[in-house]
Amino acid sequence: MAKIDNLNETEQEILEIIKTVPDPEVGVNIVDLGLIYEVEHFERDKKIEIKMTLSARGCPVGDTILMHVQTVVSNMFPGYYVDVELVWEPQWTPELITEDGRAEMDNGF
Amino acid sequence: MQAGLSTKNAPSPKVVLPYYAYGSIAFIIATIVMFFTAGDLAVGFITPKILSLVHIMILGWITMIIFGALYQLIPVVMEVKLYSEKLAMASFITLGLGTPLMAISFWFDFISDTYLMMTGGSLVILSVIMFVINTLGSAVQTVNKTIENRFIVTSIFWLLLTVLLGLSIILFPNIQAYGSFQIHIHLGIIGWFMMLVVGVASTLMPMFFIAHQLNKKCLERAYWFINGGLIVLLISMFMDLGNYAKIGAGLVIALGFIMFFRYNFGAYKKRLRRSLDIGMKLSVLAFSLFVITIITGFLSAFGSIIDASILTKLNLIYGVSLIFGFLTTLILGQMYKTLPFIVWLKIYQDKVGKFKTPLPADMHSQEAADAHYFFFIGGFALLMGGIIFSETVLIQASSLFMLVTALLYGYNTFIILAHKEKLKPLVFPKAKPRVVRK
Repeated sequence: MAKIDNLNETEQEILEIIKTVPDPEVGVNIVDLGLIYEVEHFERDKKIEIKMTLSARGCPVGDTILMHVQTVVSNMFPGYYVDVELVWEPQWTPELITEDGRAEMDNGF
Repeated sequence: MQAGLSTKNAPSPKVVLPYYAYGSIAFIIATIVMFFTAGDLAVGFITPKILSLVHIMILGWITMIIFGALYQLIPVVMEVKLYSEKLAMASFITLGLGTPLMAISFWFDFISDTYLMMTGGSLVILSVIMFVINTLGSAVQTVNKTIENRFIVTSIFWLLLTVLLGLSIILFPNIQAYGSFQIHIHLGIIGWFMMLVVGVASTLMPMFFIAHQLNKKCLERAYWFINGGLIVLLISMFMDLGNYAKIGAGLVIALGFIMFFRYNFGAYKKRLRRSLDIGMKLSVLAFSLFVITIITGFLSAFGSIIDASILTKLNLIYGVSLIFGFLTTLILGQMYKTLPFIVWLKIYQDKVGKFKTPLPADMHSQEAADAHYFFFIGGFALLMGGIIFSETVLIQASSLFMLVTALLYGYNTFIILAHKEKLKPLVFPKAKPRVVRK
């Protein structure tokens, strides 16, 4: 699966769409929070696979975030099967937050 | 999509929201009752009015919100579904009816087995039993056997003992000779409230601070210190073992709380979000006020060594700093971290990704929240001053500050509860820019 440091043009586009999804508690988009691990686009199978995590187990808005990702990607790629998989390995750490995410986190509150 | 996440486990909002509404109204009523109890608080002895006020605060405000919040938080902490939503609704009705009956009976008839007291007390016990069944029924399903869960489950056992002993004191006043009144207070404060707060706060604080890699050994030690110290304290009260046993127990309990404090301070220091929102500002204030509770609680264990008038004030500051200080501030703060999410999920869960939705943090008035933060600090300082200098007028002024706090908090609670859907069209990126991870 394509890691997010090595995406093709369509996968980059998907990642940009996912950037519209905020973590409702933190107010920062989940891409800059480092929650998206992998994005893969299968042109022939009309399928998009996304692997992501959450910043804490039992996050109260966890599956709303997953549903949000699935909805925005499905909207932009009609006819595609969008699979959003939640993974706990590797465990999310604060080091995965981008500099933009860190800046946004402090400006937002 | 994954199954078994917390949103799917969450109970229906109609189970939880009435608790928040009732709690905020009870807080307003308590501040008004406090105005008329100011003279008694200035003297410092336990009177009918003080017992009435304390039970409105503890049952109507603190326990009400804790029950409601726990029904929502159990799925978060234990990663299971709530055992029974019907029991949760029934425990709201019984607690909501029982509390005013008890408060009225205390006000007019002090500690006596009046019809009001027996009815109110029985309803409260029924509510607690339903709460115990619900939380333990949920706890046995969890595979997540963490130290935080252990704190919560232990607190529930202590709660059951607290209310059963409370009713026994009403039914059999003679048992007060065996320290049962003191045992009832300490079971409630340390066993129920504090044990629960440690379990829930140690789960939520790191989550809200976004702090990772914390030393959980502190919590493990805190568990054994607090419970071990509490058992020794209760035995020493029951058998009247004297001051040294109480001082030893107090020291061990204080050490336990210091461990808990250390754990949360670690989360605070490691937090990613440097600036704090109102919920976390109030929570940090709560922990600061808790220092007063630990110090006065420990000092009051010295009992007869201390001058009687000073001991009375120490005991009063110990109780007041816990109920009006630590627990009230923590609840004020944690409302902002829980209620908006419950309402937000109810309204926007199916709208995300289709429309631009507001964030949970946008659902209350920031001005009202900032104002009640300062009114609370003013009110609490006046209350402490009133107790220390035995000045009724300072306590009356404090109650007015607290009333403004309660009204502003109530305003925010109700605008969150009454939040109407606000949707905007989504704007998607048109270009295809590269994402560079820095």
